[in-house]
Amino acid sequence: MLGISDPWVWMTYLICLIALLFCGIYGYINWNKDSDDDDGKH
Amino acid sequence: MTVSTELTIGIVAFYLVMIIGIGYYGYRRTKKVEDYMVAGRNTHPVIIALSYGATFISTSAIIGFGGTSAQYGMSLMWLTVLCIVVGVIIAFICMGKRIRRIGKDLGALTYPELLGKMYGSKKIIYATGAIFVAAMPLYTAAVLIGGARFIETTLGIPYMTALLGFAGVVALYVVIGGLMAVMYTDAVQGAIMLVGMGVLLVLTYIYLGGVTAANSALDSMGSLVPSTLSSMGMTGWTSMPEFGSPIWMTVITTLVLGVGVGVLAQPQLAVRFMTAKDGKSLNRAIPIGALFIVMMTGVAFTVGPLTNVYFMDTVGMLAIDAAGGNADSIIPLYINSAMPELFVIIFMLTLLSAAMSTLSSLLHTMGTTLGGDIFARMKGVRYSIRANQIGIVVMMIASVILAVMMPGSIIARATAMFMGLCTAALLPAFVHGITSKNPSYLAAKWSMTAGAGGWLLWAVFCHLAESKMLGICHALFGVDSLVSSPWCYLDPLVVGVVLSVTILLVLIPMDKHKITHEDQMRLT
Repeated sequence: MLGISDPWVWMTYLICLIALLFCGIYGYINWNKDSDDDDGKH
Repeated sequence: MTVSTELTIGIVAFYLVMIIGIGYYGYRRTKKVEDYMVAGRNTHPVIIALSYGATFISTSAIIGFGGTSAQYGMSLMWLTVLCIVVGVIIAFICMGKRIRRIGKDLGALTYPELLGKMYGSKKIIYATGAIFVAAMPLYTAAVLIGGARFIETTLGIPYMTALLGFAGVVALYVVIGGLMAVMYTDAVQGAIMLVGMGVLLVLTYIYLGGVTAANSALDSMGSLVPSTLSSMGMTGWTSMPEFGSPIWMTVITTLVLGVGVGVLAQPQLAVRFMTAKDGKSLNRAIPIGALFIVMMTGVAFTVGPLTNVYFMDTVGMLAIDAAGGNADSIIPLYINSAMPELFVIIFMLTLLSAAMSTLSSLLHTMGTTLGGDIFARMKGVRYSIRANQIGIVVMMIASVILAVMMPGSIIARATAMFMGLCTAALLPAFVHGITSKNPSYLAAKWSMTAGAGGWLLWAVFCHLAESKMLGICHALFGVDSLVSSPWCYLDPLVVGVVLSVTILLVLIPMDKHKITHEDQMRLT
């Protein structure tokens, strides 16, 4: 893909892109959520 | 590319005045010790994200690891994957929010204090502090060397002058302005780094004829891998090394795991979470933090290998040969040879920013550890701004001395060593502390001891990269390593973490006296 023949290498670019998308969506969905006060500790 | 000295000096002078001015702004906003230590626990999400990223990414990541990837290829992109998955997603979502909340609840101002308070133990504060004070100057010295070397080659300033000037400017704003000055300057420096690395990627691909053409050219260079590297498992610059080979061991266990997982145990990064006002601030910081980390490491590990195509086209040799065998010189040489004048200056500011932002955070962490967690506590007082300022100055002097003494091409190695030790000794106990309502002090104590001990023994007697450099194994046993290939390439981090996690898991159920919230609050 894009000139890189080893899938174990081009896969890294794909994973980075997916992770980046995940972070963007997570930030957007939880923009106004203060979600760290209810997970059981203290 | 010849760079106009007057223009460069003018831009650098403007940059330094701006950074010191921002540092002064941080100083003006610092009213109490909480401001100095955790930026008043009220930092803007964008500043948290950029400061986290700029602290994480130093010249080691760009010059050192960029040069290493020029040697070993794009397999280092797995480190970028770990950096975003572990260093951003897990760090912010799973750990950052807990660190912020528990830190505020227990009133902790530093990483050692947070860890110690979670286990109600002063001994843990001292032990953690001792690890940082002993090991962090190694990483700091590596950052200093990276910054000074680039200033030397770009501005033509003598190396020692560059080293001392660089250290002096950063120490100035860290000492006076504490974490507010550090984080505000980090944010500006982070923005410069984003621009610099973005332009570097685009210009590199334009110069090499486009993404597919450039990657294909590198892909077709597999037959040019030096025999010394191919015999150790390297197959090309766009392919993974042979599974289990010495290079695979180095790339995966030292560089990828050492740094990619080690990020979770970094005290200077964990403190960033304690500066957030609430969980919302951390949620908002995640997208920017992720973009930043991918742009920094991803560009370095892509452009690094591609420099081989450039140097093969222009001077008919591999990047490492063009750089005279010194991997740390590859990226600076490429920038100075291939890039237009204006970009050489922008990239110099990018590297200066990377070095200054990491250095300032390390200095702040080391100084507050020495001045606050160790000296002030030993004298029976808590934290004071003055004690921390003295701690910062002392640790800066120690790091400069180490930077002068350290051998040439070990920037990436020193970084991996520091992160490896932190991870092996602290990460399992730290994760147990933030995830368990009633953590086990017994398990944490022995986990830390086993992790640090295992890491140290493997580094001194088995892992060739350190054992050969230290020479202790050779002096005692007449050999550089007590184990044979490929085990002599297995990073001490793996041994240390396996030991510390095993001890932790075995002892947690056996401990009948778990720590309660009252125990935690009792420790002042």
